[in-house]
Amino acid sequence: MRKKNFLAALAILAAIVVVACGGAEKAPTETAKAPAAAPASGTASIAGTIAYANGDPDTAISMNADPKCATLHKEPVLTEKIVTGETGGLANVFVYVKAGLPAGKYPVPETTHLLDQKGCQYRPHVSGIRTGQKLIIRNSDPTLHNVHALPKVNQEFNQGQPFENMELERTFDKAEVMVRFKCDVHPWMSSYMGVVDHPFFAVSDAAGSFKIDGLPAGEYTLEAWHEELGTTTQKVSVTEGQAASVAFSFAAGGVPSS
Amino acid sequence: MATPPKKTPDRHYDFGRMNVAFAWSSLLLLVVTVWMVVADYAKPWKRLQSEFRDLERQQLVSELEAERQQLNESDIVAVEAEIAEEEAGLAGQRDALEELEDRLVGLGKKVYAADAEARTTKSKLDTARYQLDAALQHGDEGEKTEARERVDQLAAQYREDRKALEAFQEERRAVQESIDQKRAGLVEAEGKLAELRKGLDGLRLRVANLDKRLDYFLLNAPLMDFVEPPLKIEQVILSGLYQDINFTAVDRVDRCMTCHVAAGRAGFDGEDWKQPFRSHPRLDLFVSAVSPHPYTEFGCTTCHGGLDRATDFARAGHSPRDEEQKREWIEKWGWEPQKYLDDPILPAEYSEARCVQCHGDGVWTPESVALDPGRELILRTGCYKCHEIGYTAFEDLPRPGPSLEKIAAKTRPEWAAEWIRAPREFRPTTWMPHFFFQKNTTSETNLERQRAEIAAVVAYLWNVSKRPEYPPPPAGDAARGEELFQTVGCTGCHLLDATAERDDYYPEIQRLHGPNLVRTGSKVSDGWLYAWLKDPRQFAADTRMPSLRLTDREAADLVAYLMAQRDPAYEGLEMPEVDARARDELVLDYLQNNLTIEQSEARLAEMSSLERDVYLGEETIQKYGCWGCHNLAGFENAKPIGVEITEEGSKPVHQFDFGHVHDVPHTRHDWIRTKLLDPRIWDHGKEEVKSYGELLKMPHFGFSEREADAIVTAVLGFTKESVAESRRADRGPEGPKLAAGRKLVSLYNCQGCHLIEDKGRAIRSAIEDVGMLPPNLAAQGARVQADWLFEYLHDPGAVQMRPWLGVRMPTFGFSDEEINTVVSYFAARDGRETFLSPPAPPDSRNRAVGEVTFNMLQCAKCHPAGPQASAAAGVGSAELAPSLLLATSRLRHDWVPDWIKDPQSWIRGTNMPANFMRNPDGTYLSPLAGAIDAPMFSTQKQTLMRHFESEEELRDYLADADRVTVALRDHIWWNLGD
Repeated sequence: MRKKNFLAALAILAAIVVVACGGAEKAPTETAKAPAAAPASGTASIAGTIAYANGDPDTAISMNADPKCATLHKEPVLTEKIVTGETGGLANVFVYVKAGLPAGKYPVPETTHLLDQKGCQYRPHVSGIRTGQKLIIRNSDPTLHNVHALPKVNQEFNQGQPFENMELERTFDKAEVMVRFKCDVHPWMSSYMGVVDHPFFAVSDAAGSFKIDGLPAGEYTLEAWHEELGTTTQKVSVTEGQAASVAFSFAAGGVPSS
Repeated sequence: MATPPKKTPDRHYDFGRMNVAFAWSSLLLLVVTVWMVVADYAKPWKRLQSEFRDLERQQLVSELEAERQQLNESDIVAVEAEIAEEEAGLAGQRDALEELEDRLVGLGKKVYAADAEARTTKSKLDTARYQLDAALQHGDEGEKTEARERVDQLAAQYREDRKALEAFQEERRAVQESIDQKRAGLVEAEGKLAELRKGLDGLRLRVANLDKRLDYFLLNAPLMDFVEPPLKIEQVILSGLYQDINFTAVDRVDRCMTCHVAAGRAGFDGEDWKQPFRSHPRLDLFVSAVSPHPYTEFGCTTCHGGLDRATDFARAGHSPRDEEQKREWIEKWGWEPQKYLDDPILPAEYSEARCVQCHGDGVWTPESVALDPGRELILRTGCYKCHEIGYTAFEDLPRPGPSLEKIAAKTRPEWAAEWIRAPREFRPTTWMPHFFFQKNTTSETNLERQRAEIAAVVAYLWNVSKRPEYPPPPAGDAARGEELFQTVGCTGCHLLDATAERDDYYPEIQRLHGPNLVRTGSKVSDGWLYAWLKDPRQFAADTRMPSLRLTDREAADLVAYLMAQRDPAYEGLEMPEVDARARDELVLDYLQNNLTIEQSEARLAEMSSLERDVYLGEETIQKYGCWGCHNLAGFENAKPIGVEITEEGSKPVHQFDFGHVHDVPHTRHDWIRTKLLDPRIWDHGKEEVKSYGELLKMPHFGFSEREADAIVTAVLGFTKESVAESRRADRGPEGPKLAAGRKLVSLYNCQGCHLIEDKGRAIRSAIEDVGMLPPNLAAQGARVQADWLFEYLHDPGAVQMRPWLGVRMPTFGFSDEEINTVVSYFAARDGRETFLSPPAPPDSRNRAVGEVTFNMLQCAKCHPAGPQASAAAGVGSAELAPSLLLATSRLRHDWVPDWIKDPQSWIRGTNMPANFMRNPDGTYLSPLAGAIDAPMFSTQKQTLMRHFESEEELRDYLADADRVTVALRDHIWWNLGD
């Protein structure tokens, strides 16, 4: 009797070992909730203008510190901080959809974005780039520049470019409005770049106008950023196929009103 | 009437009743046995582990589904086909390999046999040779011929044997080679398969492993669970980390992960995961195997407290966060307080306390939330002056408050009386606490007594004060003074802000190092202020206020600015009115400590009013321990008045006096926290019973809740020894150097201006432009020479290294010993020897390459490198970067090439740009190799070619960032230096 029990226990043990070693590769059959689909683009657009009331004119930079820079210009060079058109529009304002977009990732564009250093100035002075998009930084001057990016969220970098036509490639991983670029050799040089994770942004032109295309219908929060005058936001509703229009205005002294 | 039970004649008991009794008792035994097994088996931790398994499986299933959504169906099919193909290929390869291995074994045997054969023949040959030798000497012709023939024959046979052996050996070598090849192929194929499986298949496997199938239940079944049950107690033995069990220190045996299953794994933190199934925060620092504090070495209770061995919720010593959690726990887990557990689990906010037990005095954790701020707060508030704290960090420190030895020359008695009454009313950010008019001294009599005490203290101070004369300062310009105040560096330690609260600056309290200078004009005399600014040490020898080497005019401007900071409320002050009777009673009380009642009364009658005030003042200063924080004539050698708190973190809860207060939970941290926030609370209900002198005296510091929590954390860290020497992080020669250095850094508030160990630069809230901030001292020990730093700290004004900075490095008047402490601290922190041997002289090629590349990279655009350097108008090079002419005496030659190669890796955010691109593999790409062929550098190329055999060699050299940076250093060292 006792022997029989012992054999039974052994048999169970053997069964355990077989099951434990053999049965581990069966696939599960359950299903779970599906993740959100990639967001759709649409046909709506937002066009707008940026007005600037009673502003001071742009001031000139002295490039005497680096004679090489000074020889690159015949006309006086302006700071580009406040650039207004004849009609009172404000240029170099970065406008982007801050909130309201459907969740999901927009594919990263294949195209590159160029930040040039020409005539000891950054070109463009204000621009936008996508997260993950390739940024090419070029030195088109026959003098030393250093590209010192000062992001708060992304990785800071500071790369010297001593030779003419040197190029540097970088990407920003996280959305950040704005990232400032400076050059420690030429303290007057600066550029601002808005890093966004969607394609809905624009920079106002000399007339102060901007346009954002390809939006799906919805209600969005639009933010306008200016390096000296601060930021201001507005809510905008757009419907498919329609162009909504928005007017931002900034006032001197940095108190924006919409 | 029941019939009596039938009795079998030969037995004294009844079979029937016996059977019933046996039946019931065996049934009962069975039930109890089952109950026992079930109770022993169904431990709560098993339920938790099983629950977690289900939850994790669920999560994996959704991940798997998400992964599937990402891939389209054809991808999955393709990957699966590839996996199948790889697997089939692998199986074939394995077979082939096995066959080869068999052959190898066979060949091995053959080689062995052939080798033995050859050796036998060889020995026979040797014997034959000997016999031939013997025959040649002594034998006849027949023997000679025979011996010769035998030698020849054996020699031929040996040759044959060797040939056979070598053939086998060769074959074996070939087989081995193809085995190696096949094996490498196999490893590669297995790697590829693993790679393919990683995504989907890996997830699928992991899900399958968490399935609860028959084996799971069998292995966990009672009596079966001795094999390898999936549900089991997870424990680690922590040698050298002790738990006090019945007065014996024994190694901890941590079992926390039995329930906190996911603590060491990432990804269990979102909202979906509740305790005990959450990941530990900051796995990069704690618990995970790759962190500096892996679970297997440090466990959990070492830091968190609690009973290491417990697997039961209540016995583990969990401490509820609040009443609500307590109720929840009682309901869910049957929680109850553990009276006999000395160290219950610390609330999460105090966990950092335990860092001290291993990190000791030098504990300095830039990322700590509460410990470092808590220790800083102890230093600023001067806790250690009344409560002895037996850690070197809190010993032999100067008194934290200003010297009162010459107070009469600095301010007015009316101001002093008003200040003592309520320091925070005059300056809300002050560290000086409120001693008077606290909640245990509110009776009318006590109010009178306190007014008398304040007036008496002031009378004593003015009575003993020295009175140097300070002539009025030259007239200054307040506007210039304001600009200077903002730029020269005052703001590293001082605020000037009437609305600032101390808590606004938590945890970066460096800007509260010196007093907030608001209302200065209503406090001090202008003559004193001028003399003080010019040379603080002439007023107080051990002050930590440094000299900024102000010119007369600068000092006068600052005085004009600061004296304009006035508040009319503090201008026409008068001394408080004192009830003479209250004062005399106090004097009498003190006199009676040493004299009879009669003598005391006689003595009092002899004393003038001023004498009575001065006498009471001295006693009051003694009573409150004012001399703990202030240098004061007559109290140079007085002993601390408070309880020693060196082991406060281990003091048993029952030794804390909660008085008649019933709504404070009886825990160590609640007592300390309550005491800090409301120091007189334990006198509640005892005001009438205690005499005036017996009432609690600890002053009110006005701590915010965060400040109090930080101090509680630090105080809880003052525990009994509980780790072995081998587990201390501060063992070895570096530990004391770091501890001593950090102590000085705190003492002189270096971090008010500098970033040191990633902490500090508090001045940045006053200086907007990042480029104008005082230097980041990261890597200082790797960067500068010890001799240079020594000289520099002696006299920072001797050389202007960063002329563009408005902030001045002050002259602190350090002793040689202090400077040596700082110098070896920086070296120890950066893992360098304090002193460095001189560099090897360079070869001419390095100097030449260095010079050319220096010019190509345009280093002199920012660094002054010669007498003509800063000639340009506007922003000159002298305003951008330190002069390289200082390099040889200042910098460590071994550091310069590394710095040039990657400045950002040494000092984040530095203005020095990187000129070499870092590759992902850690090597650096040099732009010079490509540039040298450009037409604009043709002359440079020509110059360099004099030092190289070929263009290729030159390009190789220039492409090598290591060599180029050394060449640049050699140029700076040997060419510029000459």
